[in-house]
Amino acid sequence: MSFLEVSDLHVRLAEFQLAGVSLSLDRGDYLTIIGPTGAGKTIFIEALVGFWQPDQGRVSLDGRDITHELPEHRHIGIVYQDYALMPHMTVFRNIAYGLKKHKGPDLEDNVRQMAASLHIDHLLHRKPATLSGGEQQRVALARALVAEPRLLLMDEPFSALDRQTRREARVLLKNAVRERGTTVVHITHDLDDAWAFADKLAVFKGGRMLQFGSLHDVLARPRSQFIADFVGACLIRGTVVSAAEDGVQIDIGGVHLASLDVAAPGDAVDVAIRHETISLQKERPVSASGFNVVPAVLGQVMPEGPAFLVDMHVNGTGLQALVSHDTVQRLQSREGDPMYALIPKQHVKIVAAHHPSQQPVQEKTRVHRK
Amino acid sequence: MRSLAADSFRFCTIGGALLVTFLLVAAIAALFLVPDISDVRANLLSAEMRYSLKLSLMTGILSTLLVMLFAMPIGYALSRFDFPFKGLVKTILDLPIAFPELVLGLCLLLLFGSTFVGSLFKALGLQFVFTKQGIVVAQFFTALPYASRILKSTFDYIDPKLEFVSRSLGYSIWETFRNVSLPLAKNGILAATVISFARCIGTFGTVLILAGGTYMKTEVLPMTLYLNISYGNMGMALTSGIVLTVVSFVAIYFFERAEVGL
Repeated sequence: MSFLEVSDLHVRLAEFQLAGVSLSLDRGDYLTIIGPTGAGKTIFIEALVGFWQPDQGRVSLDGRDITHELPEHRHIGIVYQDYALMPHMTVFRNIAYGLKKHKGPDLEDNVRQMAASLHIDHLLHRKPATLSGGEQQRVALARALVAEPRLLLMDEPFSALDRQTRREARVLLKNAVRERGTTVVHITHDLDDAWAFADKLAVFKGGRMLQFGSLHDVLARPRSQFIADFVGACLIRGTVVSAAEDGVQIDIGGVHLASLDVAAPGDAVDVAIRHETISLQKERPVSASGFNVVPAVLGQVMPEGPAFLVDMHVNGTGLQALVSHDTVQRLQSREGDPMYALIPKQHVKIVAAHHPSQQPVQEKTRVHRK
Repeated sequence: MRSLAADSFRFCTIGGALLVTFLLVAAIAALFLVPDISDVRANLLSAEMRYSLKLSLMTGILSTLLVMLFAMPIGYALSRFDFPFKGLVKTILDLPIAFPELVLGLCLLLLFGSTFVGSLFKALGLQFVFTKQGIVVAQFFTALPYASRILKSTFDYIDPKLEFVSRSLGYSIWETFRNVSLPLAKNGILAATVISFARCIGTFGTVLILAGGTYMKTEVLPMTLYLNISYGNMGMALTSGIVLTVVSFVAIYFFERAEVGL
């Protein structure tokens, strides 16, 4: 049995409805939840901690049904985006507040030890209002961790931090949860957080969980266009034209792509290709073993962080590649210029396949895995 | 042109504020400047004034305690919980703010005088019509909406996430209220207490109708002012006015410091 099991969870709050969320985590798992604003991510974790009573469904933790247990009995910690530090308490008292059940002579030692491990031991006498965002974030984390929660929930804990502080906070958090083997559910808008921590990834939208799985599975095989856009992948429709021992050939608008996945000839398939796996060249490469070489026409080039997202057209099908500044400089191409996209065969992932007699791909269709 | 329009708008708004402030200051100053200071001292020491002041303070303190006892859960419930007819409950609780005091007094007189509610309290030994207990009841209903509104907005300002976090750390809802909500509501509680006390001390119409305005029996400070002005005894009337004004000043001073709006 899994450490955390959520089955068919429904929560209604005024006009909002969280509907039918089911997932399970093993002890020590790190789940990252991504999704747009209003997706129901926060309500989901607040339901896990017990602030909202579900209308339907079940939550069990460590083999015990906690669906109707009071929040104070669940032993689940929560860290909010704005940290929710008690403004009338010093940093010391804020952290010590998490030690309700450990009051005694070792309270001060526990607080100081935790503060030292998160590099905030010099702030213990200060009030939260006098701290920077990064310091407040560490105090909130210390308060949650010192209570040794069975499950730690975090609602966008890094979103108010600048880039450098966020990087430092990520390292601290990673060490802190790894040392303790804490099971974590972490909501974020930033896919970098998922890359940095997650074993598992869930995508929420409009009160529903669209996809849940291992980080690499969800990123490589997004089940819908929305998820593909969110996680940075292209999702295109094609037809399997041939199948062999070492993979399949898929026709996409007249262009053939080789994939190492398995499907039957004639199957209509949805194919996912992550943006960063595609490289671009102006000339057709002489030898490109293991790659699909696809002639394309350059579209718009848009900066995305330190890289560039390049739009291309392949026989009328849109593709995007995430390339470095150097690549863009090297190409020296303009919109409408011909070029070649190099796509590794192992990164052409079949997300969903269905025989011609079946209905088109559904949200819940299981993928064909190799 | 645009700048001129902006300047004249600024002038009109600030001018209006200054004009009304001046008139109020002049009116209050008149209260302190017109009477002879030795008269005021003598009036303060008179038996009637001492009785009235003592009764006002005693009923005011008792009413304020009762108001806070009820306003705290009312303010919290209105701020934090959803329940059937919440909007209606809020409107009815606020009603005494808009109600003329005399009408409120009349309603209370009917409730406690000629209905089963009055009989019920009477059976419990509590008689509110034309008694000192009536003063407390009249003050309670007049001040309660002010306190519950202040406390509701106070709890609205306290992030519920602080309470959520406290619960997640193992504290019950009562412990969370004591450790988190109550200390953070400190300023609002102080403001609500002071405003309630000022409202209780200053309430006239409701007290007059429910408890009566009997000399040296149900005579609180506003009643002293009213009775003495009726007899033409301006010295006593002005002295009670001064005492009421001082109480109001203290209340507003604390209220402003607490920075909580109605």
